[in-house]
Amino acid sequence: MVQEFINKVRSGEIDVVEHTKKVIAQCKELNAKYNCFTVITEELALQQAAAVKKNPKGRLAGVPLSVKDCLCVKGVESAAGSAVLEGYKPLFSATAVQKCVDEGAIIIGKTSQDEFGFGGFSVNVGIGKKVPLNPHDIERACGGSSGGSASMTFLAAGRFPHISLAESTGGSIVNPASFCGVLGLCPTYGRVSRYGLIDYGNSLDKIGPMALSVHDLALVQSIISGHDPKDSTSIQAQAPDFLPFLNKGVKGLKVGVIKELIGEGVDKSVKQAVQNAIGILKKNGAIITEISLPLTQKYSIPVYYLLATAEASTNLAKYCGMRYGAHEKLEGGFNEYFTNVRSTHFGKEAKRRIILGTFARMAGFRDAYYIKALALRTKITQEFKKAFASVDILVSPTVPTLALKFKDISKLSPLQNYLFDIMTVGPNLAGMPHLNVPVGKPEGLPAGMLLVSDHLQEGVLLQAAALLEHDLPSGNGKENSGSDASISAMNNFKTSKSSAKSVKG
Amino acid sequence: MSKFTTDTVIGLEIHVELDTDTKLFCGCPTAAEEPNSACCETCLGMPGSKPVLNKKAVEYALRLCLALNCKINPSLIFSRKTYFYPDMAKNYQITQYEEPLGKWGSLPLDEKTSIGITRVHIEEDPAALVHPGSMQSSPFVLVDYNRSGRPLCEVVTEPEMTSPEQARDFMRRLITILNYLEIFDQQHCIIKADANISIKDSGYTRVEVKNITGFKEIERALQYEIKRQRDAVKSKEKIIFETRAWDAEQGMTFSLRSKESEEDYGYILDPDLVPIDITQEMIAHTRKNMPELAHDRIKRYISQHKIPEIDAKVIAEERKLAELFEKVAEEIDPVLAAQWLRRELVRVMNYTQTSFEQLKIDETHLIELLGMVEKREITDAVGKKLMEKLIEAGDKPFSPREHVKREGLGVVSDTAAIEKLCAEAIAENAQAVKEFREGNEKSFNYIVGQVMKKSRGKAAPKEVNEILKGMLE
Repeated sequence: MVQEFINKVRSGEIDVVEHTKKVIAQCKELNAKYNCFTVITEELALQQAAAVKKNPKGRLAGVPLSVKDCLCVKGVESAAGSAVLEGYKPLFSATAVQKCVDEGAIIIGKTSQDEFGFGGFSVNVGIGKKVPLNPHDIERACGGSSGGSASMTFLAAGRFPHISLAESTGGSIVNPASFCGVLGLCPTYGRVSRYGLIDYGNSLDKIGPMALSVHDLALVQSIISGHDPKDSTSIQAQAPDFLPFLNKGVKGLKVGVIKELIGEGVDKSVKQAVQNAIGILKKNGAIITEISLPLTQKYSIPVYYLLATAEASTNLAKYCGMRYGAHEKLEGGFNEYFTNVRSTHFGKEAKRRIILGTFARMAGFRDAYYIKALALRTKITQEFKKAFASVDILVSPTVPTLALKFKDISKLSPLQNYLFDIMTVGPNLAGMPHLNVPVGKPEGLPAGMLLVSDHLQEGVLLQAAALLEHDLPSGNGKENSGSDASISAMNNFKTSKSSAKSVKG
Repeated sequence: MSKFTTDTVIGLEIHVELDTDTKLFCGCPTAAEEPNSACCETCLGMPGSKPVLNKKAVEYALRLCLALNCKINPSLIFSRKTYFYPDMAKNYQITQYEEPLGKWGSLPLDEKTSIGITRVHIEEDPAALVHPGSMQSSPFVLVDYNRSGRPLCEVVTEPEMTSPEQARDFMRRLITILNYLEIFDQQHCIIKADANISIKDSGYTRVEVKNITGFKEIERALQYEIKRQRDAVKSKEKIIFETRAWDAEQGMTFSLRSKESEEDYGYILDPDLVPIDITQEMIAHTRKNMPELAHDRIKRYISQHKIPEIDAKVIAEERKLAELFEKVAEEIDPVLAAQWLRRELVRVMNYTQTSFEQLKIDETHLIELLGMVEKREITDAVGKKLMEKLIEAGDKPFSPREHVKREGLGVVSDTAAIEKLCAEAIAENAQAVKEFREGNEKSFNYIVGQVMKKSRGKAAPKEVNEILKGMLE
């Protein structure tokens, strides 16, 4: 918990400048091994520390904050993990970042990610960037796309207080949180301003925190929430202080286990860990039922990939080497120049998603893919809404497996790769808040449980997570290696596979 | 079978720059001199920036929709039109695609003809490309983002115009409406048209001519293009479905691209902007605050001021003239005021090639001038001369009353003075006097003219007539 540290900074017991220096030194050392950062912002951190030392009143006074690379930090290279944005130093900071800084947080660096968020393992990093490694086993992936944030959050355990700002489009907060064994909260769509976020899929993108304790998660979420006139999609509703939710317990809480997501296709060890956590909720008075989400199960993967890539393909159009980021020698007409810049600096997965998304919105295909996906998204949201009429929380594993080895990931086809998002794309499409809570370390690797609640009900997620955090043995052990996680299990998602065919056309 | 029957078919797509203080999706000013001095992260398309809609632009566009009798969509929805071009900050343009703000409207040209309006929608302007020297000779191009994100309203007509003159008339009337609505500043805002033209001789193969600025150009461009198409058909050339551009300097159109390779814009809803409800209250509020348009003014002028219809039309169809008239008519007999504004003011403006934008005259001087005419303190001839002087004075106006006093231009109506002038004229024009006495009425008018000339136009014409007649008979 960062609270004790903050209190000491406020009272002057801790010299925040000296502390920050030590943290930066440790980050450099850790980064050399785990590649969590794209940039370590030593100079900025020391400036901010000096300011906090003078005025240590903020609610995050002196807390080291890592920020996913896709979030703009004024004057610091913010490239969303892409070579095409190399050297882009925004003239402004993202609202969420600024709110943390205003409360005394110290920015220590930008964390590595899949290029523009295009991935679930943080292996699709931009050209020339390094893949972040899982702190539990460096031969394994961190999950993605906020892999650097999750890895750093775990690595800070026992070393220094730390929180991270991550971002999710289809599961990019909870997925890496699960693989790395940390807490991650993806709030309701629109709860946190997207101003200053480098877009992936604007109707899906959400900024949320990662931390080692539910308290820290609640504290940061309280700070970054709220309407922002600079983001038209940020919601007007005033965010509550989330900290009071932590002591409420789960007595009488209605928990729905998502039927389709706890059966076939889930690793046995993950399933056991999740069922164990459900048992703890039940023991503490929660009412457990089973909920079926057939539409979500069948359509969420294709709907997500059509909508997210359609939006992404327009968002990425601006990267053409004219105003910022990577440039090439000016030769030929503008078409040749743009093509050269884009061919040279976008990674393979970015190109794949640009092509997929462009296809989905072209005349002749638009109605069959883009427009149909929009309609199905509404249906999926309605299915969630209906479920939340009878339960407070839905639960499932966060990812069907434990952290995968890089060598196994490389064997996955793009489609198998996309199917790993089966648990997380549903709530992301519906804009529902969701949270990963570590529920044990079977085989020495963290397993995660996904908690999902209705729009604007982040409080109840934190409430349940706080109980589990208290009653479960700590998942935050030291770095070690685990055994193989099964990927063959993925092939058991029969319904998903058949529906995914429509992606192919 | 074509649905068309006329020799020429013309449809227009008109882009009007709305006269808001700030851009459509950011707070940058719309007016700036120095290139790239009015831009920010949003209109430069910087990663991380987000658009925020300018409500004023919506209000302005709504006014135009209502003035063009459009059906208003209950929701304002923006889309992304994606294509790569160096003037695009994001390589997509935020525009309206699925449902425009207004559709199914009309603009009447006269009692019999009305041009259908297909749609009216809001969109952002791209940046301006500047080719030093000329487009052909410049080795590079400069981009000025001051224009990027300025608010535009696109008006699309049905293909219902049948001649370049009609298209010009449509444009002129549209500009009058824009002026009345106070959403367009002719000095600073740009109005551009793309025209779709086809002729019967070619079987109505449609050709698009882009980039025509202003309502005078539209007539020229269309005349050129129609002639080009007719000549081509005559010499057995095939008219192709293509996009051409208008070169105003050379007075010709040239081919840009064939429509076969027309781009696919891959429209999606803009996920950065939420749909905005256009409520009945908003529409009612806008309607209530709408300035009175030409059509209604003509009716009012005729019924309220009892002025002739022709005067009412000419005056109401030019906002500046209408405003002058209404102010002047508060003090001066409206019939006299209308007659003087329509005939004299417009005559002098035509003669001196003064446009309404350049016209500096204000109502206080006009009221003074016409007041003297009304009270017969000066003659019409002196009044007309003063009108010329006032317009020529531009932004250095003078008081007509003081001028009359200083120059001694007041009407001469005392009998002795006129008799003296008449006697002189009779003595000096013996031949004319003789002819008159032999029965030539025209000679009488000539002698009257000589008297007036002697008085420098100041002699009261009625008195001159009576006295001269008495003296000659």
